[in-house]
This record gives sequence, structure tokens and C-alpha cells, in this order.
Amino acid sequence: MNTKTGLILILIALNILAVIVGISIGPAKISVKDIFSVLSGNENISEAKTVKDIIFQIRLPRTILAMLVGSSLAVAGCSMQALFRNPLADPYIIGVSSGASVGAATVFLLGIATGINIMAGAFLTAVLTALVVYRIGVVRGRAPVYTLLLAGVAMASFLSGVTSFLIYMAGEDMSKVIFWIMGGFWTASWDKVKIAVLPMIFSLTFVLLNSWNLNAILLGEEHAMSVGIDVEKFKRRIIVSSALLTSSAVAVSGVIGFVGLIIPHMMRIISGADHRILLPASLLFGSAFMPFVDVIARNVIEGELPVGIITAMLGAPFFLYLLRRGRM
Amino acid sequence: MILDIRDLRVKLGSSEILKGVTFRVRDGDMVALLGPNGSGKSTLLRTIFGILRPEAGVVYLDGKKITEMSVTEIAKEIGYLPQETSEPELRVLDVVLLGRTPYMEGLRLPHKSDIELARRALKKVGLDGFENRPFTSLSGGEKQKVFLARVFAQDSKILLFDEPTSHLDISSQIDIMEIIRESVKDRRSALIAIHDINLSASFCNKIMMIKNGRVVHAGTPEEVITPHNIRDVFRADVDVRKHAGRIYLVPKIARSPDKGKRVHIICGGGTGREVIYMLDEMGYTVSAGVLNTLDSDWEAINEIGGEVVAEAPFSPVSPESHEENLKLIEKSDLVILSSIPVGKGNLLNLKAAFKSALQGKLLIVESTPFSERNFYGEEAERIYRQTLELCRWVVRDVKDIRGMLNEILG
Repeated sequence: MNTKTGLILILIALNILAVIVGISIGPAKISVKDIFSVLSGNENISEAKTVKDIIFQIRLPRTILAMLVGSSLAVAGCSMQALFRNPLADPYIIGVSSGASVGAATVFLLGIATGINIMAGAFLTAVLTALVVYRIGVVRGRAPVYTLLLAGVAMASFLSGVTSFLIYMAGEDMSKVIFWIMGGFWTASWDKVKIAVLPMIFSLTFVLLNSWNLNAILLGEEHAMSVGIDVEKFKRRIIVSSALLTSSAVAVSGVIGFVGLIIPHMMRIISGADHRILLPASLLFGSAFMPFVDVIARNVIEGELPVGIITAMLGAPFFLYLLRRGRM
Repeated sequence: MILDIRDLRVKLGSSEILKGVTFRVRDGDMVALLGPNGSGKSTLLRTIFGILRPEAGVVYLDGKKITEMSVTEIAKEIGYLPQETSEPELRVLDVVLLGRTPYMEGLRLPHKSDIELARRALKKVGLDGFENRPFTSLSGGEKQKVFLARVFAQDSKILLFDEPTSHLDISSQIDIMEIIRESVKDRRSALIAIHDINLSASFCNKIMMIKNGRVVHAGTPEEVITPHNIRDVFRADVDVRKHAGRIYLVPKIARSPDKGKRVHIICGGGTGREVIYMLDEMGYTVSAGVLNTLDSDWEAINEIGGEVVAEAPFSPVSPESHEENLKLIEKSDLVILSSIPVGKGNLLNLKAAFKSALQGKLLIVESTPFSERNFYGEEAERIYRQTLELCRWVVRDVKDIRGMLNEILG
């Protein structure tokens, strides 16, 4: 067995562990034994109905949603880092998160803040922002990465101004908007999983199938063209799938930072930059990492902490560590 | 495969970069594209590969228009190494394998034959056994060779290189040009944008000079690389010299103003070159004799346009030439005898030196003892001793002359 297969197997095991931990830890403790007996249809344990409800209606959709979001952010971050050939690139580089925040804040401000409305508002503005950034970035039929990058940065700072304004105007709902922006899975439900799963699986598959072309992009855009890749078309497609992944993730869970930045870096240190292994590894690690962080978020204090706080508090020190190690 | 470029015009924004470029590249050609920064070399290569669309004009590949081909089709026929540098954190073999991309449809899974071709390409650039090394751990020269292997793995007939040797040390530069020349032998052709004129003169069989978006000079290195053309295209003053059948440039050092003094040099067999160039640079009028034509001293005096008395190759100095030599000596303010070997053929030159010593204007350069270069016998030894005694200045090294000249000639 080579190291790549080994890495993937370890990551799969980590995912299984993440599901078990995600289901068993919470205000009501459920033992591993109970999980297995409920999952295997044995309803003879005490309070079988309640345990079943907690597992299937609350913890399982929440864990699955966290896995989807984690893998989407990790893969989107990984492909953005390749496309921009910049270690600082992350899924939000083309303005998706600030766009989503404006959308969500608007929904709160309009007083129509139902779950589905927030989701739709965030998703639409996120996708729209990515589109606008791309349009601005296109110069004479090409989208040079540095203009995209700068367009993204400029757009993000403009939109965060708008968001701050909206938060200021939100009055009583102010804390709700801020809480939403910080990101978390407390509103997870099967409905959210159902809505997010399709664009996510579709985009994840697309990006994974393009691992080879992403490797070519690492050499530079002209190198990639010189081996016969239609770089502009490819870039557009990768940006669209990353925007879809990120917008879906943000729509269902708010703005969870650092995950899309650090997970690809961690996997790159272990597996190298070959996207044929790096992308699946990032996907699997992202999907295992997020439920763990979520477990911390909902157990570390009375009530619940937004996941984004924890990822930032874990992510930033790690980021600095990478910087000092000179791997960036 | 023939690359045929006709009246190519390319605009970037509002400025016209290429203003009608026409040329052909055939199998076996290794063409250097010379020109100052901004003359349009890279633009030309990028247009040929189809990255830029020409405003007018056509690039034909064996009669097929490049604009009607897909990027994959082009990549199978043309290997293009851009100037862009990068540090992909990939294994060396994975970088080379990217060259097989045009042949890998769909999911792009490399076939066994692709891996075999990539390995062979690595071997071709001399990086056997580097397959599993991380690309980032290589030296600059090795990285460029890996990129070359990537291009070779593409197995295309026409190769375009954009400054493949820039930022590399001299041995890597030579390696890279050697590798390209080897690959061209195999029914391929290469077009190389390059700044190093000497390197291109040594390796390429054709040279094209571009200036302001036009090909202004084209032909063999001897035809194209001339001081006139270099001044025309690069605005630089150079001398073009020849060594072992190859030409090379040396920058012209600003010549001192004419000092109005004549120096005659009795030399031969390359013993006088250095003095000839040095005195010319210092602003003296230099003459030499008696030399054999094609002798490297003869080439040097011709190059600076000095007067010279010469015999046919391997012929002895005739009495007539000797007389003429004495006339030049008569006109000169100083005569320099270099460390020439003396034999039957040039004993008269030694006698000419003796005469100048009598006139009190001889300087002898004695870098090797006379006994070691005396192939005539006792008579030569005797004349040399007398000359030495009469002469006023003797130096061991040519460089010592520089400091003495002002004193001698005032």
C-alpha cells in the first residue's frame, strides 16, 4: 500500500469517527453502543424514540451538513489557491462571503428572516457578487488573476461597508445578523442538507475531475495553454464551481473562516501539491474537520458558540505557524 | 513541417507590436530571434502559438491556418516554452507528464506510453533518475531542463522558446542550447527568442533580428551579426570577431582621441594582437609587418584598419616586403618588437628591428627568453643581442607598455 492510499484510508477513518463523535456528543449524551443499536433498528433500549429523534432529526443532519460545508470550503479554497497561484487565496477571495453577508443582512432588515429566505438571500447575493467580480476582472476577453484578485478585494471591502451599514440599521436584529455572519450549524436540518447537497456534489465532482488541469495551472497560465488547455474557459468553469461551492456553504452555515485557507495548506504539507491526491485529501479532511469543530462549538460553553469563532481561533495560529516554517 | 508566417500584424491595446512579419522556418532550422526589449519577440512567439490573435496576416502550419486549429491541436504540433517562471510543488515526472496533456482525453489519466515518453524526455535533457524529486528542490538550470523535457514530451515538430537561457549560469546556458540543437536534428525546428547574441551565433544556423515589430535582418550568423546591424538594431557599438570558425561580439570600448603618433609593430603568430588592440584603443595609429595573411596578428591589424605589409601564408619575408616594412618603420614614432619566434622565414623582421633600434625608437617585449624561440641559429642570436643592447626599452609583459607610452612618446 503506498502512502497516498494510506492517507486516504486514514482520512476516511477520520470521517467515520467524525460522524460517531458528531452524533454522540451533545447536551444529551448518547453512547456509541446506543448509536449502533438505533442504527441497526434495535429499539429495545430505554427512550429509544427520543434517542432516535435526537440522532436522526438533529445530530445526523447537522453532522452531514457540517461535512458538506467543510469539504466544499476546503475544495473551493484549494482550487482558488491553484488558480491564483497564491497561498493566501481562499474560497472568499472573489467576494462571495461579503456578498452573502449583504444578502442575509438585507433579509433580516426587511423583517422576512425565515430560514429559507436567509438562505436564498445569501446564496443569490453571493453568486451575484462572484459574477460581478469576474466581469470586472475580464480585460479584453481574458481574466488575468491579479485583476480578479484586486477586483475581489475591492468588492469585498465595499460590500463589508454595506454590511456594516445594514447591521447598524438592523436595530433589534443586529445581534442576529452578526451571529449569522459568524457562521454555525445550529439551524441545520434535513431541508438544508437537501438544498445544499446537489450543487455541492456537482461542483465537487467537477473540480475533482479537473485535478490534472489544476496541476498544469500551477506551472503558470501560459504553460497550461502550451500543453493544450483552453485556460480562459477552464478558469471560468473553476471559478463558477468554486463560487457555487462557497455560496452554498455560506447560505446554509454563514461565513466560516479559515477552513478553506488552512485545510488545503495542511494537506499540501502532507501530500504535496499534486491535485490528484491533494483535492480528495482536502475534501476528506474538510469533511472530517468541520463536525469536530462543530462539536466543540456546541459543547464548549453553555448554549452555543459560532463555529466561525473557533475556526478563526484555531486557524490563525496555525497559519502563523505555517508562515514561520516557510512553507508558504 | 513548415512554419510559414505571412505579413503578421499584432496589436496589443492601441499599439501595434508586430508590423508585418514574414518568414519561414523549415525542418532542421534553429533560428535565433534577436532584438531589444520590447521589439516584439515574445509577442511573435505567442501569436504563432495562437495565444494572441493577429490583426492581420496568417500563421500557416504545413498550409493549415493556426487560427482554425483548437489549442489542443496546436499543442500537438507546436511545443512552446513561455518565459513565465513558476515553482509548482510537484514531482519532476509529474511536471514532464503535463507535456502529454494534449494526448490525454477526458479524465486525463496518463497511459503507460505517456509515462515512458516522459521518462525518455527527462533522459534527453540529462535528468535521468530525477523522476521522483520535488521540482522545487532543483537548481535553476535543472528546473529549466525539466521544462524543456515537458516540451519534448509533447512530441511536437516545431519548438518555440522564449528566452530559455535567461537567469542561468553559463554551463546551464550551453547545456540548454546543446539540448535544443540535438532535438532539432530529429526533423524538428526551433525558434528561440534570446538576448545572448554570442550564444545564438554559436548554436543557431539562422538569425532574425527584430526591430520595432519588423524583421530587419535575417540570414546566417555571419551575414546578420555585423557591427553595422548590431548598431542598427540594438544601438550598441561592438566589434565582431571570429574564433574557431564561429563569430562573437566584444563590446567596443570608447576609443581615446587620436594622439597623432604612429607605432609600428613587428610581430607574427598572435604575439602582437594584444598590443595592436591596446594601442588602437589608446588612440595611436598602428601599423604592422611583415606578417603572413590569415595570421591572427594580420586579422587584428585588419580589424582596426591599420597599415600592414603582408606575405602569402607560409611564405618567407621577401626583400621587397622588407623594404616596405622599413618605410613604415621610418614613418613611425615608436617600433615594438613582440616575442616572435625567429626562423629562416622571418629573419628579415629581426633585422628590421635592429634598424629601428639604431634609430633609437625600439621597444622590445620579451615575455619568453629569445633562446627558446630562436629557430635560426647563432646569427639570429647575435643580431638579437646587438638589438637588445641598442634598444632603449625592454618590458617582460605587454601590459607594462601602457604605463610607459606617455613617457616615451610624450
